[in-house]
Amino acid sequence: MKDFFSNPLIVKEMRERFRSKRSFWILGTYLFVMGAILLGFLYITEMNTYMTPGENRDMFLMMAAIQYAMICFIAPALSAGAISGERERQTLHVLLTTHLSPGRIIISKLITSLAFIFLMVVATLPLYSFVFLYGGISPQQLSLFVLFLAMNIIFFGALGIFCSTWIKRTSVSTITAYGLAFFFVVGTGLLCLFIGMLLTELYPDKYLGDEVFNQLGLQWLASSNPVYVMLSILGESIGPAIEPDVTPWLFFSVVYLILTIVLIMWSTYLLHPVRKRYWGWKK
Amino acid sequence: MILTQQLTKHYGKVEALHELNLNIEKGKVFGFIGPNGAGKSTTMLILSTLLEPTSGRAYVAGYDVCKEPKAVRQALGYMPDFFGVYDNLKTTEYLEFYAAAYHIPPEKRRSLIADLLELVNLSNKADSYVDALSRGMKQRLGLARCLVHSPEVLILDEPASGLDPRARIEMREILKELRKMGKTILISSHILPELAELCDEIGVIEKGRLIACGAVDDVSVGTRGISVMEVKVLEKHDHALQLLEAFPYVRRLDDKASHFRFQFTGTESDKAALLQKLIDAGIPVVQFGESKENLEDVFLAITEGVGN
Repeated sequence: MKDFFSNPLIVKEMRERFRSKRSFWILGTYLFVMGAILLGFLYITEMNTYMTPGENRDMFLMMAAIQYAMICFIAPALSAGAISGERERQTLHVLLTTHLSPGRIIISKLITSLAFIFLMVVATLPLYSFVFLYGGISPQQLSLFVLFLAMNIIFFGALGIFCSTWIKRTSVSTITAYGLAFFFVVGTGLLCLFIGMLLTELYPDKYLGDEVFNQLGLQWLASSNPVYVMLSILGESIGPAIEPDVTPWLFFSVVYLILTIVLIMWSTYLLHPVRKRYWGWKK
Repeated sequence: MILTQQLTKHYGKVEALHELNLNIEKGKVFGFIGPNGAGKSTTMLILSTLLEPTSGRAYVAGYDVCKEPKAVRQALGYMPDFFGVYDNLKTTEYLEFYAAAYHIPPEKRRSLIADLLELVNLSNKADSYVDALSRGMKQRLGLARCLVHSPEVLILDEPASGLDPRARIEMREILKELRKMGKTILISSHILPELAELCDEIGVIEKGRLIACGAVDDVSVGTRGISVMEVKVLEKHDHALQLLEAFPYVRRLDDKASHFRFQFTGTESDKAALLQKLIDAGIPVVQFGESKENLEDVFLAITEGVGN
């Protein structure tokens, strides 16, 4: 913890971020929008039906979906400019001549980019008191869901940092980060469906209906899809019925944790001003 | 203190640096002159451990820049030609960040930052936000940032670019102060006359090749026997102009109304012959000698035709 508060890059970034009025406006607007959606939803639903406290999970599902969409939207954007922003501001060269190692720079940047998103998630917790009032979810589900969100935040942050290190311009880096995030959120699901349907068409004798999705490869692909995993945590289902061998959230967490570590290590390698060659030979 | 041996850098097929050999001794101020794209910044980036040479070796304070980058970074303060500052940070916070990045203990930072701000005449701006400082002040702050870990060697890429005359003079005075402190400085500049007063030695680089190197006076006379002359006459200005234009060793004659400046490619005897000719023609000459200050002419004279 002492290291965290004495890390010069974290201290500097926190100072810069939380001094700007923009951060407070973003946070305020976000809370306002989330609150307005929640209260609006309550108002409209109560007009038609009577919501029984303890028996309504729609509100939680809606909050979860908005929260997740927000993370997909904000996490890559906040981190996709972390390194390219330094490059554009012409401060990166100077930073690299200090004693801060590329690995420390990447980790510090990741932490400070994500700190703001974590703050936003924490700031919305009071809104969840409404959700608890109406119930419909177990504490275990909520804990798993929070862990799932945390994993996603870290992964999308690492993805953004990687794009930011790999691509020189922030605008291109942000678009690429969104593109890659879209692949993980939507693409993996569509790919799973497409391959499953293709196999059913090609080998109708071998695979009957949704059974094809119980193939190990497709199970893994489905468990790599955050939307599928999120709904399975919340006890909902989407797409064909799959009976997974490995619990989806466990598989998801392991795979995305490995991907996050790979992205961080790759970014660190890319940030080295003079890169070591681990393969091939130098002319 | 700074040594390069056959330092070469290729960007694809483009050769940015060709077998550069430099030897800058401790406490010397070395001026690096050359047009844009000549290889100055490439050399400085390699010395600052930010770029890998294609071949050759470079040493800063005795450390190999490729093998011992950490030791080199400790011994070196680098100021790039263009650098940005962080928004929403105060001057002291900006320096504190770099002090922490160089692992300066927290208890020493306050006094160190106060000393550095005093050195670069920014003590009265200690609580100002960095992005509110003028260009000259930012440049001076950048210099203070280079000095935060008390490096022996300073590599300054175009420190005076984009500054107004007053800011340039202030920057020059600070650099003189640093020279007094015994720092070894490698400096490049487009504002060439400034280097004449400041540098012990200069190196002229063109298309990645060092084409002249040595003390300012030596280079100006140079291996090519070119010197820049200045002649001032009291009367018969037009006649003097005709005579100078007609003289075989006079090139690039510049009539500055009050005096003439030109490149002279002849020997010392030829100079004497020119003076004699002017006097014989009855022209009252009040000044006849080499121009000490204008490195720009030296640079133009030396680089003329190189690479064609």
